[in-house]
Amino acid sequence: MSDAAQNELRARARELLEAGRVDAVLGYAEGTIAGRTTPVLARKPDEADKLVLNRQCVNNLTVYLNRPEIKKIGKMAIVAKPADIKAIFVLIQENQVAPDSVEIIGVTTVPECSVLPQRTHKELLDYLVKNVLPTELDADDLAEVAKLDAMTPDQRWAYWQEQYAKCIRCYACRQVCPLCYCARCIVEKNRPQWVETSPHERGNLAWNITRAFHLAGRCVGCGECERACPMGIPLMKLNRKLAREVRDSFHGYVAGYACEGDPVLAGYRPDDPNDFFE
Amino acid sequence: MRITRANLGKLVRELAAFGSTIVAPRSQGGYTDFAPILSLDDADLSRVNTRRSIKQFFFPASEPILAFSVSGKDVTLEQADPPKPAKTVILGSRPCDAASLPVMDKVFAWDYNDKFYLDRRAATTVVSISCTDCDECCFCTGLGLAPDSTQGSDILLTPLSENEYLVEACSDKGRELAEAHKGLFDKGEGDKAAACKRATAKLPKPMDLAKIKTWLDAHFEDSLWKDISLKCLGCGCCTFICPTCHCFDIVDEPSGDRGVRRKNWDSCQFAQFTLHASGHNPRADRAARWRQRIMHKFKYYVDRFGPRSCVGCGRCIRECPVQMDLKDQLRRIENLQG
Repeated sequence: MSDAAQNELRARARELLEAGRVDAVLGYAEGTIAGRTTPVLARKPDEADKLVLNRQCVNNLTVYLNRPEIKKIGKMAIVAKPADIKAIFVLIQENQVAPDSVEIIGVTTVPECSVLPQRTHKELLDYLVKNVLPTELDADDLAEVAKLDAMTPDQRWAYWQEQYAKCIRCYACRQVCPLCYCARCIVEKNRPQWVETSPHERGNLAWNITRAFHLAGRCVGCGECERACPMGIPLMKLNRKLAREVRDSFHGYVAGYACEGDPVLAGYRPDDPNDFFE
Repeated sequence: MRITRANLGKLVRELAAFGSTIVAPRSQGGYTDFAPILSLDDADLSRVNTRRSIKQFFFPASEPILAFSVSGKDVTLEQADPPKPAKTVILGSRPCDAASLPVMDKVFAWDYNDKFYLDRRAATTVVSISCTDCDECCFCTGLGLAPDSTQGSDILLTPLSENEYLVEACSDKGRELAEAHKGLFDKGEGDKAAACKRATAKLPKPMDLAKIKTWLDAHFEDSLWKDISLKCLGCGCCTFICPTCHCFDIVDEPSGDRGVRRKNWDSCQFAQFTLHASGHNPRADRAARWRQRIMHKFKYYVDRFGPRSCVGCGRCIRECPVQMDLKDQLRRIENLQG
């Protein structure tokens, strides 16, 4: 089954490269370490055979779309799982990726590997709305959030202090995140130094909370930050909590299911009643 | 010498009773890292390696180097001397981590004696344990080390069975520790090679390090750098968990009329690392930054101090979110001509 999907993926990539519709296909290849895959670029039709599709295809490759070294290569096709496709849609919505600059090869790796038949952004969006949105913030995610909600504020504070104490400020969470695309992150702004760079209590709290805030209403839940964190900080718990808050506060808004319109926390409307402040 | 596991447990208790802090690998929340232990039962000595290296005990991620207060135009230094470090025993570091210490010693006592590092170094005894197993990321043997190397260890323990270790005291500090607790040690020999054979069989063949160095000497500019760095995302994970990466940043953190100057880990993989005040950045792209990491470990450090500043612990490979594989890249360089 998964071999068939992998062959289909390679055929799709080959077709795009042969037709000259893209300059490269960004996908996964077998890594040098068994049981892991690694990001790879296929630039010639024959290189499509380097691509693999299996459960080890964990990276969200959309993070590369805005890298200067990758942008220089030209038009990309990208192998993208549902959460990764949502990241592309947020990038389009936020004017970071031009809609016609990227071809999406939609794939799934769970419950089984497949190549999605939908090809255009519109078709993929419809697929996500119909098949993924209903399971968004699933029971397991919400159970984790419920555990945090059940704590007293003091307990919750202690919990996050303990987690953030582990942070070494390697910024792997930021670097793997497709939506952390700022050319200069606030933590790198030092006149004044808004966020202390020291991995101490204050600095780590300011960094991690600021990052979570910046992702509220934008995070697509791909989980890359938590996977990349070498210190095992459960970063997704806070991201999910915020996603739920946004959903419940803004008429069910969930990030990644629109290519157009204002991002929920970045829009301005003159007729906004603003009745939450007097 | 030999020591039984039961006596190793007693040694932990005796050292603690004499006022030493004992740190050892501990497994918590799905990963293993060094943390203080009060009993040998708290330690997890079965893992291939810890998430972070022992670097943190000599060169912490962040430390105050002085405190100051400002009054009008006067600045007063409130604390400029490092506090006296606690007597510490690191138990269960791997030989690769121990081998990083002589590498770091050269840097921190080169043109300037870094009292913060050197005082901790003097106050710490390193009791390593040979590796009976390894994983695919380990490559100490590629760099001339071995799962039972003694470099940097004060004492090296090699498991002879589940209940007994061979003991090698490798330094004066190690011999003093063994002498001070001699009732716990037995006479005896042991076969180190046999104990480590599973690891040795899996570990890679030695690399031609001279050839790698020769290639690096001549290829500051090369298309390889762009090629191998294309997928690198530029986080600092590899450098922070590396036992020999030693770059740091100095920051002042003021609060009102007082403040603290701190020394924090920094990473050559960050874009801002070499950013000049003028706005110019001599390492403008990923290729230049990744080249720096390899050049520093396998050329610049070698030119200045002799050995390489990499011990093959494999952490950077294990934890890299996009699987940058230093071992594989070195093999590639080894096979390049010219």
